[in-house]
Amino acid sequence: MSHPVETHAILDPTLAPPFPQAALNVLRNPQLRKNVSHAIDVIQGKRARLVAEKTDWQELRSAASAIRAHALEHLGFYLEQFEARCTAAGGHVHWAADADEARQIILDLLRKENASEVIKIKTMTSAEIQLNPFLEAQGIRAFETDLAEIILQLGDEEPSHIVVPALHINRSQVREIFARRMGLKNLSDDPQVLTAAARTYLRQKFLTIPTAISGANFLIAETGSVGVVESEGNGRMCLTLPRTMITLAGIEKVLPCFDNLEVMLQVLARSATGERMNPYTSLWTGVTPGDGPQNFHVVLLDNGRSPMLTRPVERQTLKCIRCAACMNACPVYRQTGGHAYGSVYPGPIGAILTPQLMHMQHAQSLPYASSLCGACYEVCPVKINIPEVLLELRSQVVNQERKQVLRFFDPMYLGLRIANLLFSRAWIFHAAQRLGRIGARLVTRKDGWIHSLPSVGGKWTQTRDLRGLPSQTFHEWWAARGKEAK
Amino acid sequence: MSAPLESRQRILDRIQAATQPSAASAPSYAALPRSYIRKGALTAEARLTLLIERLREYDAEVVESSPEELPAAIAAQLTASGKRSFVAPAGLPADWMASGFDWKIDRGLTSAEIEQAEGVVTAAFCAVADSGTIVLHHSLTEGRRVLTLLPDWHLCILRASQVVETLPEYFDRCPQPPTLVTWISGPSATADIEMTRIKGVHGPRFLHVILVRDQASPAIKNN
Amino acid sequence: MRASLFITCYNDTLYPETGRAVVALLERLGVELDFHPRQTCCGQMHANTGFRGEAFSQAKRFVQLYQDAETVVIPSSSCVAMIRDQYRGLFEELGNEALRKQFAALLPRVFELSEFLLDKIGVEDVGAYFPHRVVYHASCHGVRALHLGDRPYRLMAKVRGLDLATLPNVERCCGFGGTFSVKNAEVSSAMLATKLQDVVSTGAEYCTALDNSCLMHLGGAMHRQYAGMKTIHLAQILASTEDSPAEAFA
Repeated sequence: MSHPVETHAILDPTLAPPFPQAALNVLRNPQLRKNVSHAIDVIQGKRARLVAEKTDWQELRSAASAIRAHALEHLGFYLEQFEARCTAAGGHVHWAADADEARQIILDLLRKENASEVIKIKTMTSAEIQLNPFLEAQGIRAFETDLAEIILQLGDEEPSHIVVPALHINRSQVREIFARRMGLKNLSDDPQVLTAAARTYLRQKFLTIPTAISGANFLIAETGSVGVVESEGNGRMCLTLPRTMITLAGIEKVLPCFDNLEVMLQVLARSATGERMNPYTSLWTGVTPGDGPQNFHVVLLDNGRSPMLTRPVERQTLKCIRCAACMNACPVYRQTGGHAYGSVYPGPIGAILTPQLMHMQHAQSLPYASSLCGACYEVCPVKINIPEVLLELRSQVVNQERKQVLRFFDPMYLGLRIANLLFSRAWIFHAAQRLGRIGARLVTRKDGWIHSLPSVGGKWTQTRDLRGLPSQTFHEWWAARGKEAK
Repeated sequence: MSAPLESRQRILDRIQAATQPSAASAPSYAALPRSYIRKGALTAEARLTLLIERLREYDAEVVESSPEELPAAIAAQLTASGKRSFVAPAGLPADWMASGFDWKIDRGLTSAEIEQAEGVVTAAFCAVADSGTIVLHHSLTEGRRVLTLLPDWHLCILRASQVVETLPEYFDRCPQPPTLVTWISGPSATADIEMTRIKGVHGPRFLHVILVRDQASPAIKNN
Repeated sequence: MRASLFITCYNDTLYPETGRAVVALLERLGVELDFHPRQTCCGQMHANTGFRGEAFSQAKRFVQLYQDAETVVIPSSSCVAMIRDQYRGLFEELGNEALRKQFAALLPRVFELSEFLLDKIGVEDVGAYFPHRVVYHASCHGVRALHLGDRPYRLMAKVRGLDLATLPNVERCCGFGGTFSVKNAEVSSAMLATKLQDVVSTGAEYCTALDNSCLMHLGGAMHRQYAGMKTIHLAQILASTEDSPAEAFA
């Protein structure tokens, strides 16, 4: 019997519960945890093999990081170059300052085409601006064509990973969704059969719906081209067959030159899916008469990105090429999956990107959703020092929160301010240690361990004992030894 | 909502204020590190062997042929496929279109017509051995993008002289950046269900390659 | 060879036996140790929780305290990581030129314990005897911040009687993460459960590491669950001899 899929995950950072609370829902779901850890083990294993084989992997990372950093440093220049070249090639470039504007621009373009349906290539950027529900409300049906996205759309579910968005759903759960929504009886749960069902379901849509929406993995400034990296071919369908193509892309996606792809493609596939190269990568430039959409638009999206450019520590967040290697490596993500992060961008990159896109007004619990182990930084193909950014954002959250009067009484804040006082003078520290020893005796059991503590300490003793305080600190022992020696 | 040009200016102004770039980007671009492997070290023969190995890992079928035997090799592949109707790019060499089959030459075929065909035969621009990637620039011999997308069976004719070892070498081969490119590394696949790799979602499920040994002698061309 | 011992705030309070072991070990190796009585904390807890101003004041205190030390040895890779990775940023943001210079001069003289033994004294065989099956937990700061590499393994290889188990997923985080262990206690515990499965599966008697912070977390769960394994800091293993077994320091 398959467990019902998680249905009410909220991926709106303005509404989602804080990470510790959201994580609780997931931690008690063994099926989901198993699905997640299985999926990431597979990708991690494949990635590790291919990275070991690539003798210039570290050099590629350095180059990828440098290319992305350079592009961001000169973002205005490259965006304008992209716009000029794309326009010269017959494309139209639009600029959207925020999600509202992007949705409106896309809606206006669809209205011009009298579109009542669109086919979509998977793009997290469109989920970021909540495009599908918006279009639905305007009477336009958006059909996802990526297998994972179909599973999510039909199952009324939310993505939990940026490359394998349905990794929290197993085959029997997929079977149940397809049987119910595609009206297919006697459907087995063999992934081959399920995939074939999706292929049939989509074929007619590809051939008949004349309007498509895509994201972009890369925008090439030198040529005004757009690059889409995929596995299934639904991308190729959407960007070849329709008459109108609308590409939505974050402003940070731009690369200076075509041959930068010699680096980016090598690191992306290995990081994202553990392959030397993904099955299909497509690059197109404006409009080519007779081949592909003749009505082509790019919508460049800011939506909180440009402020992140101001300081180097935060700017590096924008180097991201959405490979998800960080979340595959993350021991926290392994336990919780993506929904707990309350954002379409989960995992380590989500923990730094989401609060910043929200101008630090929401998702303030995300920078703390990390043990700072550094595994993400180790695997990031563009060398984003995620722990460094997490620490910076934690400091910003604290600076915000400590202005709130009630925070004064928050046990964590109180405790840390007291600790700081203790550490400021040895005599205070030592006095506190002696007091602590006395106090600890009250809660130390006969076995010499503390099994239960109040308040913040109780969060420790929920699952762990704490050894009682020794009768002599190290410095007391050292001092006594010194006296003995005399 | 702001007028379009206002948004554009607003975004560019914000970027400008945040990055305060220097006038020219060229100098710092030239200084970017490029110490990764650019040129492969394999001999021409080893390169071809690697490509064949990678293609076969993707379950693409690979046969070799001499230039003289090519039309016969193509005919053999078409016969073995059990299919009858094929589409061909507008510029496909006439002697590649073996007799005994229904050929539709793409001089503006509709999607519906292409959908009727069972297979497609094309040339290619280049192949990258390291990743088993076939690169199409969609020239007249390679065909419009829809031709290698809708049919279920794709026969690609690749010349040995078109094979490079590394991805950077492919980029070195482009006289200028192409307008349209499709990089194909195996038939379409998904791993979205429990990470089980399933082939053949959209796009041709069957990829066949004829590798034409057009180099005079393998020993001569070492790089 | 002279060295100044920075014991760390939590070792001083909770794990003095680790400090005693470090002293026994280094003195046995001929190191003249001193201990600055006014030391308290490196500032990591505050820095990692986002309390930068507080962390700065502790960092400044540390640098000023040790500015004349020939060498500083610290039995905690996370504290060394704090000093190496975060002090410069704190001093650039909040400090002055004099302090930055002081720190720059001090930094090359700060060593984590295994670094001190192998790189500074140049010794692999410290003459230790510890006849037990041991599993080594590679703390994240040691692996990824300090790049300790095979240093702990080279030291353990020379400990007579030590039977080193292979830990599956050895580089996966145990879930402690400082204040993460209470701010995200449930996720921390889930990570701990996953880690413990691997650790306990080795059948070792002891779980060791270069950081008592991880060991406090692992050991706390082992004790709660009657897991039949104990934790012990690597310093205590290295200090252990036939005449003075590890228990003597406890």
